[in-house]
Amino acid sequence: MGSSLNRRQFLACLAVSAGSPFVARIAAAATNLRVASLDWALTETMITLGHDPIAIVGASDWDRFVVEPRLPAGIADLGLQPEINFELLAELKPDLILTSPFIQELEPLLGKIAPIIRLSIFEKGPVPLAQPRAVTEALGERLECVKATQSFLANADRLFDQFRQRVLALDPLPLMLLNFVDARHARVYGGAGLYQNVLDRLGLSNAWSGGTNYWGFSTVGIEKLATRESLRLIAFEPIPPDTLPTLQGSPLWSQLPFVRAGHVSVLPPVLMFGAMPSALRFARLLVEHLESFSK
Amino acid sequence: VSTSDRGYGPVYLTLGLASLTGVSVAVLIASPISHVLSQARAPVYYDPVRMVLLYSTLPRLVMAALCGAGLAASSAILQQVLQNPLASPTTLGIDAGARLALALAILFVPSLFGIGRDTVALIGSATSALLVFTLVRRREFSAISIVLAGLVVSLYCGALSAILVLVKDRTLTSLFIWGSGSLSQQSWGPGIGLAVRFGLMAVPISLLVRPLSLLDLGDESVRSLGLSVTKLRLLAIGAAVVLSAFVTSAVGVIGFIGMVAPIIARLAGARRFGERLLWSSLIGALLLLLTDATLQNLAGLSSEFIPTGAVTAVLGSPLLLFLLPRLKVVTRPLPNMATGRGWAFSIRASLPILATVFALLLCLAILVGRGPSGEWQIIPMRQWSEVMPWRLPRLGAAASAGALLGVAGLILQRLTGNEMASPEVLGVSAGAILAVAVSLFAVSGIGRVGESVFATAGGFSVLGAILVLGRHSGFAPERVLLAGIALNALIDAVVGVLSSTGDPRAITLLYWMAGSTSGTTSADAVNAGIATIFLVGASLLTVRWLAILPLGGPHAKALGVPIARARFLLLLLASILTATATPILGPLTFVGLMAPHIVLVIGIRRILPALLSVAAVGAVIMTTADWLARTVAFPIQLPTGLIAAMVGAPFLMMLLNRRSAST
Repeated sequence: MGSSLNRRQFLACLAVSAGSPFVARIAAAATNLRVASLDWALTETMITLGHDPIAIVGASDWDRFVVEPRLPAGIADLGLQPEINFELLAELKPDLILTSPFIQELEPLLGKIAPIIRLSIFEKGPVPLAQPRAVTEALGERLECVKATQSFLANADRLFDQFRQRVLALDPLPLMLLNFVDARHARVYGGAGLYQNVLDRLGLSNAWSGGTNYWGFSTVGIEKLATRESLRLIAFEPIPPDTLPTLQGSPLWSQLPFVRAGHVSVLPPVLMFGAMPSALRFARLLVEHLESFSK
Repeated sequence: VSTSDRGYGPVYLTLGLASLTGVSVAVLIASPISHVLSQARAPVYYDPVRMVLLYSTLPRLVMAALCGAGLAASSAILQQVLQNPLASPTTLGIDAGARLALALAILFVPSLFGIGRDTVALIGSATSALLVFTLVRRREFSAISIVLAGLVVSLYCGALSAILVLVKDRTLTSLFIWGSGSLSQQSWGPGIGLAVRFGLMAVPISLLVRPLSLLDLGDESVRSLGLSVTKLRLLAIGAAVVLSAFVTSAVGVIGFIGMVAPIIARLAGARRFGERLLWSSLIGALLLLLTDATLQNLAGLSSEFIPTGAVTAVLGSPLLLFLLPRLKVVTRPLPNMATGRGWAFSIRASLPILATVFALLLCLAILVGRGPSGEWQIIPMRQWSEVMPWRLPRLGAAASAGALLGVAGLILQRLTGNEMASPEVLGVSAGAILAVAVSLFAVSGIGRVGESVFATAGGFSVLGAILVLGRHSGFAPERVLLAGIALNALIDAVVGVLSSTGDPRAITLLYWMAGSTSGTTSADAVNAGIATIFLVGASLLTVRWLAILPLGGPHAKALGVPIARARFLLLLLASILTATATPILGPLTFVGLMAPHIVLVIGIRRILPALLSVAAVGAVIMTTADWLARTVAFPIQLPTGLIAAMVGAPFLMMLLNRRSAST
């Protein structure tokens, strides 16, 4: 049971320098349970806990939308989430299948292959990140790596506390988080989403007051961003190539106080429907980015 | 058509519409304008209300008016050239082509956007328009066949873009919004650009007005002026396509405004083409402006993003259903099924050949596949216990549904005498989708069984509606098809609204529409099999009617066929067949369109063997599609229904083209 963090790994976790793999993987798997994970949030949590799944959905898009943690080699791709390759899954003979409410209706079928646990990242908890935390704990228990889970969560807490101190020291502006959909529309984040959870955990305020849907985002025309308030815009990659040039031609945009002040940042993608690892990744990217120009 | 005597009808109508629009626009801009005026004394740096009014709200109003006018003018020209009140950029597949082009560009050559989304959309529009006209060029551009050809091309481009969207949904989010036409603006640039383009088009279009209005008097009068009718048609259609493609590339798909405006102008009494063009442009501009301003006034009620184009489509299709019976659509006697040259196989020879092909394909589909690491293999016996419980049910269900749709298609084509008729346009599938959409969004966690129940119920409610509405026209097939087309457009709009909000449940709906057979249980398969045997058996009882009805009403009556009742029962049967197959395969298969044509090309004319072989052909197509869906992109599995469409539609277009060339 090499599940507890040794000293070097612990330090590696703390060494949050840019570019280094951030959340250190915890050494060896506690059990050799063969797990198929049908949800990216659960997959990233498993990988971070050091228990690699044998099969996941959407492996080919992982590097583009999740990025971290890196997908270890040798994991089978089960194809698209709503159109799972059941034949392949059955041939792989997993011991356990992880599902989420998105694919709830497939559970009677999946149950013929292996036992199932369904974990929902997407419920608003009483405190920020409560649900991802609960999911991580449940997963750790089921994979029999409780110790590793606890040290991961304790470490995550320490990191969040540090990030919080670092970021509050910068006295940052309220943030507006969005993805540009095309040159005229954007998705703005808030509500119950992961990004908002992280903002809350870090003590940052969200400049978007326009409300969101159940999933924590709102699709809007870019004119809805017009405000006199001082804020920083964080746009996640990928940005469609014609968006920023087009917006530069619009006085509505180019004269926006936060645009004129140069308060527009671009961050690498972070999985919106992610769990603790994505939350940590977003927190680190954000803090490092804010620090990079305040020095 | 009631026309007002002195031709003031359009004037009154436009004035009425203009005052309504004025009220809505006034409500929209009154408060920002008074705010801006009150701030005029002490201007603040960047007043958001002022900036939004100046650079978003006002340009958006201008954009709405321009787009409405452009789409209406485009439709008015198309309706005149084709002498067909149903012609419009949407019904001709122009939008679907643009959408596909945009999807391909986003995925494979994003740098193209440096040149501009417009160019990409324009190329897509032009290509699909060409395709539609190639399909119908020998059919004298008849009303119904051009609309159906447009529908086929739309469905096909739609299927292709749907596959791209399903596989790359995270990358193609913008397509959802584009497909539902958002008028949202942030500067005057796009509006001015569009106005300039329209200005450039104005001269050539005004030159076309006179020759085009001669078309009302027949092709001869055009020729007597020394003009070539073909050239005139090509030029005018080209101009119309360019007009609508300009709009589409600027704001996305705005449904139905184009088609409805000229119909309204005509009903209001605009008789000459020049008048119709003018009044429909005005009516189109006002209609879209009214819709958009009202939508913005109401936007506070919902936090969801609702694009204008989707709203016009939702409102437009019932309006169209209401308007169409008031127009005199030229009703021709049911033409005979076009008879192409089939291969000279005797029936005796072709049935066993079909059976053998089916058996071989079945073996291939069952036994050949991809191993865990992707290698092609004949599946080893020891893996059967894992793989077969998943593979056999979906194969069985797909083959059954293929047979059902094939038979439904044959019945519909015989009944309507229109070789482009198919279960997909009947509206039954559309009803099923709508029901599933409702179940997904309104009832949570109903599961697969619940979805099927909803789908079947939805299909049958539409069937009921069709039968009730159709009674007035004695179940005239063209009316029924038109209703189906309007309903399909309505569904498209609803799905468009749902998916442009970005709700993850929209993806589930898209998969359902795509005909995903993944996870079919053996119980599903057995039920489908039993239903197929029973329903195909029932269809064999209609052989006499199917043989006689295509001869036309008078003949059929003389031979003692109760026409209305026969049509009713055949429609009922086709709908039941479709409603049974749709929950398995989704609405997009084309099998019902293709299988009857393949049977015809093989040379089977007599109705009894045709019914049997059309079932077999349907099953063969779906078996192949299911096999491809499981293997081509392994380990990714694709939805079977879409694969069937992908494989079948080009083949179908080829067939239609070949046959139209030979008749």
